[in-house]
Amino acid sequence: MKNRISTFSLMSQLFFALILSSCHKDYSPEIVVLKKGNLQVNMVHQVDGKALIFDSLTYTTSLGQHYMVNDLQYFLSDISLHELDGSWLEITDSAGIHYVDAETASSCQWLISQQIPAGTYDSIGFVFGLDKEANRSNRFPDPPERDMFWPDILGGGYHYMKMNMKWKKVGMPETMPFMFHIGIGQIYSGNTANPDSIIGFIQNYFSVKLPAVLRIDNNKSSSVEIAMNVDRWFDGQNAFDFSLYPMGIMQNQLGMYRACRNGMQAFSVQNAIPN
Amino acid sequence: MSMKKSWILYFIILTVFIGSCKKSGENTIPWTTIPYLITIPPHFPQKLNIPSDNPMTVEGVTLGRYLFYDGRLSGRTDPDSLMSCANCHVQANSFVCGINNPKYTNGHPFGITGIPTPHFMLPMINLIWTDHGYLWNGSISDENPAVQSRKLEDLVWMGIVAPHEMHGDTGRTKALIQSIKGYPELYKNAFGSDFVTIKNTGKAIAQFVRSLISANSKFDRFLQGEVQLTASERTGFVLFMTEQGGDCFHCHGGDGNPLFTTNLFYNNGKDSLFDDLRDRYHFTMSSSDIGAYKAPTLRNLVFTAPYMHDGRFKTLDEVIDFYSSGLVWSPSISPLMHHIATHGIQLLPQEKADLKAFLLTLTDSSFVANPAFARPSRMPDEN
Repeated sequence: MKNRISTFSLMSQLFFALILSSCHKDYSPEIVVLKKGNLQVNMVHQVDGKALIFDSLTYTTSLGQHYMVNDLQYFLSDISLHELDGSWLEITDSAGIHYVDAETASSCQWLISQQIPAGTYDSIGFVFGLDKEANRSNRFPDPPERDMFWPDILGGGYHYMKMNMKWKKVGMPETMPFMFHIGIGQIYSGNTANPDSIIGFIQNYFSVKLPAVLRIDNNKSSSVEIAMNVDRWFDGQNAFDFSLYPMGIMQNQLGMYRACRNGMQAFSVQNAIPN
Repeated sequence: MSMKKSWILYFIILTVFIGSCKKSGENTIPWTTIPYLITIPPHFPQKLNIPSDNPMTVEGVTLGRYLFYDGRLSGRTDPDSLMSCANCHVQANSFVCGINNPKYTNGHPFGITGIPTPHFMLPMINLIWTDHGYLWNGSISDENPAVQSRKLEDLVWMGIVAPHEMHGDTGRTKALIQSIKGYPELYKNAFGSDFVTIKNTGKAIAQFVRSLISANSKFDRFLQGEVQLTASERTGFVLFMTEQGGDCFHCHGGDGNPLFTTNLFYNNGKDSLFDDLRDRYHFTMSSSDIGAYKAPTLRNLVFTAPYMHDGRFKTLDEVIDFYSSGLVWSPSISPLMHHIATHGIQLLPQEKADLKAFLLTLTDSSFVANPAFARPSRMPDEN
């Protein structure tokens, strides 16, 4: 009898142990360690596939107008990484805004400090300039971003891009300054660009999505090199004629529209390098 | 005495010595300073250009103010040979010497021996926000290969020795200031040592200069919604802020940059030939900087005539006329001077008047009358 009880007891204990162990197995939370990595963005600036040379009258548009670039500064914002399944990750570091001065190396590259889930992304996106929500006057009190401010009476906020240039066509004795400046456009009720006749504003920022196989590995840094192909601002579907805008384009919405239509094709991914 | 005993004796002597040191130290008041608080005006930059080795203190600014106004900074005591910063940097003229200065004809300062300065003067306003170097060519900056010529502080020793300024030597200045009753104590208060050094002299004066903040013009009050601009001032403001108007704001700031300067350098179309060895080009050696100079702040420009690095324009009207129809093309003209094809912005007479009316709203009369920036009523040895 003692042996039978003992055997029963042992069997019972084994049974409950099995139940408990199976319960434990079924209901214990699985600890999932998210794998994350970093991404470094490098901006490069090119004309006809070669590195942009500043202050040199060596470039020619498709309309035969020679030009040089003296300064190039712009904002990129709302950078995002897109996955094959259509989902996307918005990068929110630095409020998602990056100021780039093409002549200042430190501004042309930045490490996204936000940890990015490891995986393969099929494209990178961003907004050229600042969207309506981000483009608030006085949000940047300090230079260099401050010096991009766009007058409140012309729509406020900041220049999306300042490309200070000079141009010349055959027969012109001298190079002429040109301010290829893009920001909020204005609609005027009259034919003149008198701010008192502004009846509306146009948000000229645009989104860019560039195909690129971007692999983010756990605890590693990948990099992506994005090129702004400066020549494309002038040679896209709206060949840009400097002579049409002797007063610049800040107060000429058609000029900014044409520039932006070209600018949508000005960016490309050069390299996407894991690790 | 055995070796062991000698060690014990040595230990006792050392203990007594250390104990005595501690005792006397207990009676020493540690050197402390009071931070000089800067109140940043609305919309002004948050980043202040204050070197980490020269934080602003009440004691430092106080000493700097005395030194700024003390002619013995030149290292001389003869009444004819006294020269201080304030000889040329006159508060009533927003710290330039001014076109009506009785001593410096046409507003062109000269040194103690009569040698004129290479350039006319830049307004000494809001330098705490200067971020691209000092002087018209920005050479006093971190990019200067000479490490002793990079900071606002360094302009003090440079002014003492420059032939076109005090034409002195730092040793003589140092010895004289050291000998003046009251100064050693002021140095001790500011820097913890009553020993006068040129380095601390530069630091103190730089602290005072950084305290010279001007942010109380009519336009400032307009931005705060406290006053309205007149119709003419508003029209001038629109001209100032628009590309198809005067397009002044790209170089001189505006509602998004209330310093009214970018502190950057531009060839603004004054000349076609260049022979100034102190333009921006001679510092950067970049051909695009030929004939380029710092865009000065437009604040208080009613006080700061004559205008431009060489003082060529004696009145504000002459400056406006120049930008209206006097621009000259050169290969290095700034790309921002996009009205060059017509030699300027071609303003009508009324537009010129409106633009001038707006520019005059940048006048901060309280700055030029601020007693905190004025000559102390008594020098340290007169107290």
